[in-house]
Amino acid sequence: MIQVKGLKKVFKDLEVLKGIDFNIKKGEVVCLIGPSGSGKSTVLRCLNRLEEIDGGTVLVDGQDVANNKIDLNVLRQKLGMVFQSFNLFPHLTVIENVTLSPINLKKLPKAEAIKKGFELLEKVGLKEKAYVYPDKLSGGQKQRVAIARALAMGPEIMLFDEPTSALDPEMVGEVLQVMKDLASEGMTMIVVTHEMGFAREVANRVLFLSDGYLVEEGKPEDIFNNPKNERTKEFLSKVL
Amino acid sequence: MDILTLFKQSLPALLSGLYVTLEVAAISLVIATVLGLSFGMLAISRNKILKFVAIVYVDIFRGTPLIVQAFFIYFGLPAALDIKIPAFVAGVLCISLNAGAYMVEIFRAGIMAVDKGQMEASRSLGLPYGKTMKLVILPQAIRNMIPAIINQFIISLKDTSLLSVIGIKELTQSGEIIIASNYRSFETWSFVAIFYFIMIMALTYAARSVERRLKI
Repeated sequence: MIQVKGLKKVFKDLEVLKGIDFNIKKGEVVCLIGPSGSGKSTVLRCLNRLEEIDGGTVLVDGQDVANNKIDLNVLRQKLGMVFQSFNLFPHLTVIENVTLSPINLKKLPKAEAIKKGFELLEKVGLKEKAYVYPDKLSGGQKQRVAIARALAMGPEIMLFDEPTSALDPEMVGEVLQVMKDLASEGMTMIVVTHEMGFAREVANRVLFLSDGYLVEEGKPEDIFNNPKNERTKEFLSKVL
Repeated sequence: MDILTLFKQSLPALLSGLYVTLEVAAISLVIATVLGLSFGMLAISRNKILKFVAIVYVDIFRGTPLIVQAFFIYFGLPAALDIKIPAFVAGVLCISLNAGAYMVEIFRAGIMAVDKGQMEASRSLGLPYGKTMKLVILPQAIRNMIPAIINQFIISLKDTSLLSVIGIKELTQSGEIIIASNYRSFETWSFVAIFYFIMIMALTYAARSVERRLKI
């Protein structure tokens, strides 16, 4: 479903991705782990081209993401994205946040989009907050709304960029639970995370990134119990 | 002549001046807002040429005095191009272009102040740039810009008084005409000042109530 080959990204003089290769199959849950600054988030942001791709190829559903001829807006509808800082639209209510894109991209008639929006809010357990503005929500609630919003366009793949890093510890669980539910429904997910517990429990595969390289990948039990690479060992000894 | 009689005598001329002032200001501020938004969008664009166009516009109109702009549009351009521009049109043009230049900066700053995560979130949903601007960025930006916009409206409203130099019979010019016939400088300028003051106070309070209503 996603094929990444030789992906490179340069910020000014700093090469943050130095040639990354990996594939993601449909229905897989893949966690990207690694130290800060290793390029995890940049990889994710290259997949829907929030960052321009400086080298290599990224194919999503066989489509070359870096190709300027493709309709990026259509591609992005296939890739739901959830951000560390939620990025809810503060001037819109919860239900308006969730229905903004389906209504304005005419994916659904308004009444239907709202009905679907309520279903999604129910799924993340926030139906009763539909007419509230985001500033009245807790961090965990905001992130659950953000997940519902990302699901509203019916994406095939969900990208999570450190979804729990900005949350108070007691709110991490509720967000992870929603993500687990999604995973169990068979959603293809790529998750940049520091939640090793989640990676161990939910991921089919873990990719370890360090200094712009994909250093090691494998099943979570292999990565966490028997890391082969020195850098992986060193990182895991610090975080586990 | 007591002040009340004087006021009654000057009132028709003052009111017609007031009307012209409001007319020039209202038309100009609508045009200025459109100019500010349009060139503001150019100013934040990644295209260097578009950006340059916006910068040149802003620099020209911020870099020269309004009164010189008025003379240039009313006397300079017609002389060079051999056309006739009515004073009212020249006045509206002058205030619009001048206020528009300042509004570009207000729009640019207002848009830049919106967290960049908002643009990313909206684009990642598949919303195109234009829709993102209209539905996500501008509604938030404009909310923060209201005090600055109102400030510019007030400045421009007062700037219309300079248009008396090209013979527009706005409020200030009306004052001068009244004084030419009654020689009562102190009272007449007091009336004129009070008229301006009331207009601006009305604008200020209207703005405050809009701002309150838009608060989330």
